[in-house]
Amino acid sequence: MASRFGLFQRVYNGTILTPTMTLRHVATRPVINTTSSRPLTTCMTSRTWLTLQHSKKTPFQQPPFQKVHYNTTTTKKKTSDKTDNVSAGMYAAAIFISMLGLSYAAVPLYRLFCASTGYSGTPVTDTNRFAKERLVPHNEQRRIRITFESNTSDALPWSFKPELREIYVVPGETALTFYKAKSKAKDDIVGIATYNVTPYRAGSYFNKIQCFCFEEQRLASGEDVDMPVFFFIDPDFLEDPYMKDVNTVTLSYTLFNAKYAKHLSPVQPPSA
Amino acid sequence: MSYGRPPNIEAFSGSPPLFGSFPLDHEGECKDFMKEYVKCLKQHKNNNGECRHLSRAYLQCRMDKGLMDKNDMNNLGFADLKDNNNKKQNENDNKDQKESS
Repeated sequence: MASRFGLFQRVYNGTILTPTMTLRHVATRPVINTTSSRPLTTCMTSRTWLTLQHSKKTPFQQPPFQKVHYNTTTTKKKTSDKTDNVSAGMYAAAIFISMLGLSYAAVPLYRLFCASTGYSGTPVTDTNRFAKERLVPHNEQRRIRITFESNTSDALPWSFKPELREIYVVPGETALTFYKAKSKAKDDIVGIATYNVTPYRAGSYFNKIQCFCFEEQRLASGEDVDMPVFFFIDPDFLEDPYMKDVNTVTLSYTLFNAKYAKHLSPVQPPSA
Repeated sequence: MSYGRPPNIEAFSGSPPLFGSFPLDHEGECKDFMKEYVKCLKQHKNNNGECRHLSRAYLQCRMDKGLMDKNDMNNLGFADLKDNNNKKQNENDNKDQKESS
């Protein structure tokens, strides 16, 4: 008895069908052995069935080369499949790692991009804007009116007014203006100022060389002082098409009481 | 930072001042210069082009009194003022004389 078991069920007289076998395979019962004394109940796999089918077509010729061909193609396909899979896996792993690295590198790269172009409202801290070649007044252009506003917080008993209500400048021309602050308090108070520029789109062209904002300013009781702002309008203002209709730029300062900004320390006055 | 927000042309992007903050002039040492400058502007209808020499004088006073870091006036945008040009001309002449001799 043949003791060969394949992946499939034992075949008894070809009646039990396996999934890979078709009716055609079963119907034609090939003669395996010329000696008919051998019983037909043998264990076979479907592959044996197929090869037997093939051999039935050309009974006197075992198709060795075809068989060999079949075998070599299977083995070759097997190994090339394996290397293909390995190389595909390598490619996938490489792409995965490169994407991961790119996502880590994107954080500082984006920050650099935003800082240099000022995209999406990032403050531009590039000092090339203040290069002395750019501080040349373009006298042939129209003069832009800069108006000054002031506000104080209710918690700050100071009177804070602009010395000059308006000034006419040309892009590239440095200008000076003053704000007057008088303390009406009984003791020393530290104030801190923030500013705003309207229209907002012109805000990026309003460059301040020196001012009095964002740093604490201490005023003794009853003292009055002049606070200067030294600024200019960036020459790129003339090239921006959105600025064509901008004839008035308003600078507005708001003074707050620094008592409520506890984490800041007072500015030490410079020793002359 | 509001990343991911659609870009808005009306967004206000503040920038810090180049030299920071002016120290307060508590004693009023440069107040006269300031008054001159304001008077000049009132005369010329707030036109900055006419009164730039006075703003330079105010800043010079601040530098002299130690209320501002010393800086060349050309870096502060006063390179085009006529007095400065004359000064520069003289300096260049002196340099040429020194080189030739």
